[in-house]
Amino acid sequence: MHSSHPLELFPGRTVTLMLFKCVRNPAELRRSAMGGQITAALINPRMLVDPFQVIVAANKAVHLQTIGKMKTRSLNSEIIFNLSPTNNISEAFKRFGISDADDSVLVVLVATGDESQTLADIKEKVDGEQVPMEELPMLSDVTQIRKLYKVTPQEEKMGGLLDSVVCKMATKDVM
Amino acid sequence: MELEKSMVVSEFLSKGSVLKQGAEARVYRDVFLGRSTIIKERFPKKYRHPLLDEKLTHRRTVQEVRSIQRCRRAGIPTPVVYFVDYTSHCIFLEDIVDSVTVRDHILATRQRPHPSPTLEPLEPLAARVGRVLARMHDEDVVHGDLTTSNMLLRRSGEGEAELSLVLIDFGLSYISALPEDKGVDLYVLEKAFLSTHPNTEPLFQKLLESYAASSKKSSAVIKKLDEVRLRGRKRSMVG
Repeated sequence: MHSSHPLELFPGRTVTLMLFKCVRNPAELRRSAMGGQITAALINPRMLVDPFQVIVAANKAVHLQTIGKMKTRSLNSEIIFNLSPTNNISEAFKRFGISDADDSVLVVLVATGDESQTLADIKEKVDGEQVPMEELPMLSDVTQIRKLYKVTPQEEKMGGLLDSVVCKMATKDVM
Repeated sequence: MELEKSMVVSEFLSKGSVLKQGAEARVYRDVFLGRSTIIKERFPKKYRHPLLDEKLTHRRTVQEVRSIQRCRRAGIPTPVVYFVDYTSHCIFLEDIVDSVTVRDHILATRQRPHPSPTLEPLEPLAARVGRVLARMHDEDVVHGDLTTSNMLLRRSGEGEAELSLVLIDFGLSYISALPEDKGVDLYVLEKAFLSTHPNTEPLFQKLLESYAASSKKSSAVIKKLDEVRLRGRKRSMVG
């Protein structure tokens, strides 16, 4: 049920996504992620339009890691930071990371090679129901997304919400 | 470490197909993150002093990205930027599939035996271009290389007869509020338009009328356009 996407610029590395609903232990998961027991990024699906948004963030994170220019301390926190339209790191964690009150979570794992064991380990730690990635749009809070990314009506009309969001993510360093 | 990254990207690029190569950049097409993507690579210019080359190339990359995003937030259609690699100066952009350049569209339309051999069928398009450019200039974005090859028409949605206009190639663009710069922008288009599409003065006139009607700051710009025309030569904005 998870979906994997190769990173063309980084042969051998893939981004794997797992979506969970009805999560009963968000606080524990958040602690595990921060403590390093879970080596994946845990993202709040509410702020996500489409998996592509996450893949773009992951690609940029791996790129910055490769050249040693990450803004945060780890690849996983960098993925979360890249989702944000601003350069404020703590705000990014607040908005895109999971909080103790969340009941759904998207797990993002950037791997080299076969990570099926890690995926299984993580899955075991999540007290929730794994659902297919197709259900992601149902968990999106489009109003909040528009507000946070400051998507103007004309911008959305011209290219759609996903493209507006992705472009802002990709260009935030120079705006 | 920077060298390492450049090699990763250039390896990726060597697998894609080169669409075209200009003096400034090479353009590739490839699949990136599951989408058809155009990659614009501003390669190093050996004839320049390396420090100067790096600064110039970086600045041009940044200007291009900024101009695109500025246009988008105002609702002006441009390709989406997916990723920018500032170490190798590569911009990964949306590939606008299923589209024709305005240039090819005009050429094709004029070739067809029409009921009336006038330019009338192309007037709505000229008006649309005028409107889009007006919006762009109102955002203080100067394109820098306006030609009918840098405007695409793509099918928008199912069964819609309307083709939507997309502006591309912001490689020479920059932010400026000066009517002079915008006037020159239009002058560049006029020269390119009339040389590519001979005997279309009335069509371009329609474009300008539409521009003037749509832009809040148009009168100053048109005034400057007239002045530049009188001067009789292009003012080179290429550094």
